[in-house]
Amino acid sequence: MKRNFGFPLVAGVAMVLGALALPHAMSTPYYIHLLTLALIWIVLAQGQNLTQGFVGYVSIAQAGFMGIGAYASTLLTVNFGFSVWMTLFLAPLFTGFAALLAGYPSLRVKGHYFSIVTLAYNMVIFIVLMTFSALTGGEAGIPNVPRPSELNLFGHVFSFEGRSNLNYYALALFCAALVTGLCAMVLHSRVGRVMLAIRQNEDLAEAMGVITSRYKLFAFVLSSMLAGLAGTLYAHYIGFLNPEPFGVDQSLNVILAVILGGSGTLMGPIVGAVSVTFLPEILRFADSFRLITYGLILVVATIFLPKGLVPLAMGLWRRLRSHAPSPKA
Amino acid sequence: MVLGRSPRACPGTAQALCRSSAQQGFIAMIEFLQQVLNGLAIGSVYTLVALGLTVVFGILGIAHFAHGSLAMFGGYLTFVFSTTMGIPFFAAIALAMPVGAIMGMLIERLAYRPVRDAPHINAFIIALGLTMMIEGGNLLMFGADQVIIQTPYQQVFEFGGLFVSQLRLVVFITAVSLVALVTVLLLKTKTGKSVRAVAQNRHAAVLMGVNVNFVSSVVFAISSALGVAAGALIGALLALAPGVGESFAVKGFAVLILGGLGSLPGAILGGLVLGVSESLAAGFLSSAYKDVISFLVMILVLLVMPQGLLGKK
Repeated sequence: MKRNFGFPLVAGVAMVLGALALPHAMSTPYYIHLLTLALIWIVLAQGQNLTQGFVGYVSIAQAGFMGIGAYASTLLTVNFGFSVWMTLFLAPLFTGFAALLAGYPSLRVKGHYFSIVTLAYNMVIFIVLMTFSALTGGEAGIPNVPRPSELNLFGHVFSFEGRSNLNYYALALFCAALVTGLCAMVLHSRVGRVMLAIRQNEDLAEAMGVITSRYKLFAFVLSSMLAGLAGTLYAHYIGFLNPEPFGVDQSLNVILAVILGGSGTLMGPIVGAVSVTFLPEILRFADSFRLITYGLILVVATIFLPKGLVPLAMGLWRRLRSHAPSPKA
Repeated sequence: MVLGRSPRACPGTAQALCRSSAQQGFIAMIEFLQQVLNGLAIGSVYTLVALGLTVVFGILGIAHFAHGSLAMFGGYLTFVFSTTMGIPFFAAIALAMPVGAIMGMLIERLAYRPVRDAPHINAFIIALGLTMMIEGGNLLMFGADQVIIQTPYQQVFEFGGLFVSQLRLVVFITAVSLVALVTVLLLKTKTGKSVRAVAQNRHAAVLMGVNVNFVSSVVFAISSALGVAAGALIGALLALAPGVGESFAVKGFAVLILGGLGSLPGAILGGLVLGVSESLAAGFLSSAYKDVISFLVMILVLLVMPQGLLGKK
């Protein structure tokens, strides 16, 4: 099957340019804040999609690994004076290392049990963040997490201080685009094809001589590194760090984002991440019902819309252009 | 337990004399046994949770993660019946169990049955959605404050230096009786036979005239009723609070992993092992990290014997 890479590339560049222009069309700074969070969530959800969408293993530790990245970066900058630009690389690497240690035993179990073990990881991470106050500050958290230092690029000086900072928005956008590009590369590589094969039939893939555990571990580690990157971006954006956003609930929200958008697609996590970030704003009238509503959306979407919004929209689009050549995304 | 440590007190200068090494060894032994005894009570509740999970998983292949939250709902319901309405503890549990059974049947019918033929991962994601819904419902109905079910079993018995609280004893006996009851139900009745038939070979069972829909309903009813009872026991022994259900569901699955998937004796042994190791960890290492340690035990078992303690290779 021949693939046409031209169209996705043009569409991607157009989307990035559109996203870069979007804040200028916004009148309220609050929306810029939300959009920045949505971009960070795209990084998180793309990572989740690597395991959940490509390999078919639902990890419930994404928020936990996000927490590891966030705390690693914060502690390195606050206690050891590292530059945020350095920790943007170091923190994901550290998270990846933690995921390597955690993934090895957990990938010995298949299917649901893997999910349960990862959930246990998330609980462990949360308990440690809460209890090990000497290092993490416990529930009270760490105040004054620094923003990245000024960046001098081609004679222009970009500052990252202040709320609803457009330069930070651009940084998050850059990361989200980079991560999406990376996931596209993985998906279209041999490794990506093996990952899809594992999702479709792991036993068959093993019978064909694929050492599936390596590919699963690769996906898990890469996924966690992206979570670590998201955590780093989050910590230095919000400026205050406590364990609350890294609990199991948040991991469930990431799963919701991937399912809602469309798991296994590249656009799905983007749509899902934006939806999940803006959903609380739409549901603000029903704040105490939020957990119930999220759960209901997850159940209903899985029953009636198991492929997610993006494949649904693409299917409709193809039906409109009835002379579409091949029904393969 | 603070009570168990009381023999440690030695007066002033006599301390060096009275703490001969043999005596210290004896005290350590007593303390160890005390923690094991304490662990057995909570371990029996873990077994109860795991039993509900294992029947659902064995028969329908669903990792019913919402089981823990449903158990919490049952615990809260028992609290309302017993503390607010003044119904005796066991009568309150007996009233709450049918409510749980009906909820379980509804969950099976409305949420799981539509995805029965879809990939298993869908059912699991639905389980996560149900968890969010039930947790949200609990929060809305019963609030975020910690709740403890008051029981009349407040005595403490002593056997040669070991202290056994009446409450732990009652919890242990209740859990063991329920586990035994369900085992007999599964092994001796005709419905139990059809349940096991579906677990062994679904298609063959259908061909033999077993009504799979009926079996699914029965399994969910039993499992959820057990969950409700477990929630009530947890509420009496520890406390009910948001998030506790999720942690108990994870521990239930940890028990299954420990014991070996689909093994009933494994679930029983696994529950007790988890409870005891957690209690020992809390007593000798750190109570703040007891959950961490119990999960580490699970991960260690996965590393050393992935098939579980009693599982088939």
